[in-house]
Amino acid sequence: MAEKTAPARAVAERKRHTILMVSDFFYPNFGGVESHIYCLSQCLISLGHKVVIMTHSYGNRSGVRYMSNGLKVYYIPWRPFFLQNTLPTFYLTLPIMRNIFIRERISVVHGHQAFSTLCHEAIMHARTMGYNVVFTDHSLYGFADIGSIHMNKVLQFTVADVNHAICVSHTSKENTVLRSGLPPEKVFVIPNAVDAAMFNPAPKRLNCDEIVIVVISRLVYRKGADLLVEVIPEVCNLFPNVRFIIGGDGPKRLRLEEMREKHSLQDRVSMLGAVPHAQVRSVLISGHIFLNSSLTEAFCIAILEAACCGLLTVSTRVGGVPEVLPDDMVVLAEPVPSDMVLAIKKAIDRLPSIDPHAMHLRIKNLYSWHDVARRTEIVYDRGRRCSDENLLQRLSRYLNCGAWAGKLFCIVMIIDFLFWQFLQWWQPSEEIEVVPDLMRAGCRRGGTMPGGNVEKGRAQSDSLG
Amino acid sequence: MSKIACSDSRYTYYREIRNGSLQTIDVHEIIVARSNGRIIFLCASILLLLLHVSNLAYLMNQESQVIYIVGALLLSILVIISSQLRVVQKERVVIMPAFGVQLETYYWSGRVSRRLLSVGKILRPVLNEIVTPVRCYWSLALVLDGHEELMPVFQESQPPVKMLAPIWKALCAATGGEE
Repeated sequence: MAEKTAPARAVAERKRHTILMVSDFFYPNFGGVESHIYCLSQCLISLGHKVVIMTHSYGNRSGVRYMSNGLKVYYIPWRPFFLQNTLPTFYLTLPIMRNIFIRERISVVHGHQAFSTLCHEAIMHARTMGYNVVFTDHSLYGFADIGSIHMNKVLQFTVADVNHAICVSHTSKENTVLRSGLPPEKVFVIPNAVDAAMFNPAPKRLNCDEIVIVVISRLVYRKGADLLVEVIPEVCNLFPNVRFIIGGDGPKRLRLEEMREKHSLQDRVSMLGAVPHAQVRSVLISGHIFLNSSLTEAFCIAILEAACCGLLTVSTRVGGVPEVLPDDMVVLAEPVPSDMVLAIKKAIDRLPSIDPHAMHLRIKNLYSWHDVARRTEIVYDRGRRCSDENLLQRLSRYLNCGAWAGKLFCIVMIIDFLFWQFLQWWQPSEEIEVVPDLMRAGCRRGGTMPGGNVEKGRAQSDSLG
Repeated sequence: MSKIACSDSRYTYYREIRNGSLQTIDVHEIIVARSNGRIIFLCASILLLLLHVSNLAYLMNQESQVIYIVGALLLSILVIISSQLRVVQKERVVIMPAFGVQLETYYWSGRVSRRLLSVGKILRPVLNEIVTPVRCYWSLALVLDGHEELMPVFQESQPPVKMLAPIWKALCAATGGEE
């Protein structure tokens, strides 16, 4: 009798999950949420689970696609209408979602990102149909402006009935609990990780005669691009041997270029434009210090990637950033120009004592996607132990959402339930063909690291033929 | 000559292997059950339309009433006829290994649509998952030499994968592809 590998034995003992990851944000978009979904999915597959992803179509990319290790992606033909989000229709996505839940034999629905309408609708429909649901929140949101107020109300409705929620930092957990009204004991903190195989330092340490400060971010308001406009000239004035490399694009790019022209810093500030994700590492290893000026961050994968490449990080002390790196790897500052300049000075003084390779090894031990996957698996197992409840028991949770909002949410869920019952009559579950699990035998490779020797993000159209 | 059949509520699948003098001909047939619900729905819609028209006709003078009602009746008849013209009775795949594959569609109106593809032109038969805004289903298609798009084997019907799988296997065997 053939011996099973350790992960396979463990899975046989626990039980295999079939997870559906739902979000409006996935490949071919690149970003924190997209990377998180992809890397987590790959590690869950290496643990023996089956993972399917559902997102909206991107241009011609519509239908079923397969990614590395048999990761199946449904690009459902609902076009995005605003900031990559599908049009919120409440009920119109129920038929296709029900179809996918049944044909893939989903056991857990895992929604990502509070700003994704597809995620909210999937959670609503999944709970109506009695599936286990987990929600991961990747961002911090405010409480005061009109957009945040509406967003928080929607979040309150959606997560009122989820089994568990995951946040990427303790700060993010506090924010999510306050916004959504979820009991804290239902919320787990599982930080993001970094692909250490992809982000490693340069083989040879850089000369410290000229100090290079790297900035890679979207050049938008919330990433602190306006702070950079103030900080860069000041730093260039104080330190003649410092130069900047700025990667990224966005509406604030023009302001930075104007700053460069105004202070004649063309030879000291290089603007690379949008940097493809595959080339981020090569830009990072050309610098000594990584500068992050975000005004809000739930976690900030960027500073983790920079530290993994051996760069000392200077960052604003906002959101979950203080939780990410040990104190000797990061210099924190308040999000004001004067404090950031002081922090850059401290970082320059600390540079000679930095060992990039030692830093890389520490980050590699601290953060691992396999660890994230194992912890997420625990959350799924906890969700499985939750008892099944009928509609009436679940409606009481929606009533707690507010005097009028609660009743409205109950009506929405009742209509959803009735629509689902209609679909059960119109197209019974027995008529929906279950998809054969063809990739299972081929995709268990015992811990293939996502993005290591696998080209991350390469999607290939594949058919059974 | 042998026949194998399987069926569900909407489709019935027959397979017939004819041993000819020169070669064996493999015939796969999918018969589509006539949807009574569709006919009832259509008649109910026409009836509602006529009731609506007759209500409106009261507001008109006698001459206009006649023209209006006759026009509505003609329109209803045209709608019924045109809807029935495109109702598929059965679809057939005839595999002649040394020659080619013939795709046939039979309509209830008596019309037959045929298309012959030579074996050399078929690169590979594939089973695809089609995703629409409301559902997913399996589809059998052919990858043709010199064509960018796939050619669906069943143009009008959507039989289940348990019926498509043996047809796909037979096409793989005929075109020399691996399963």
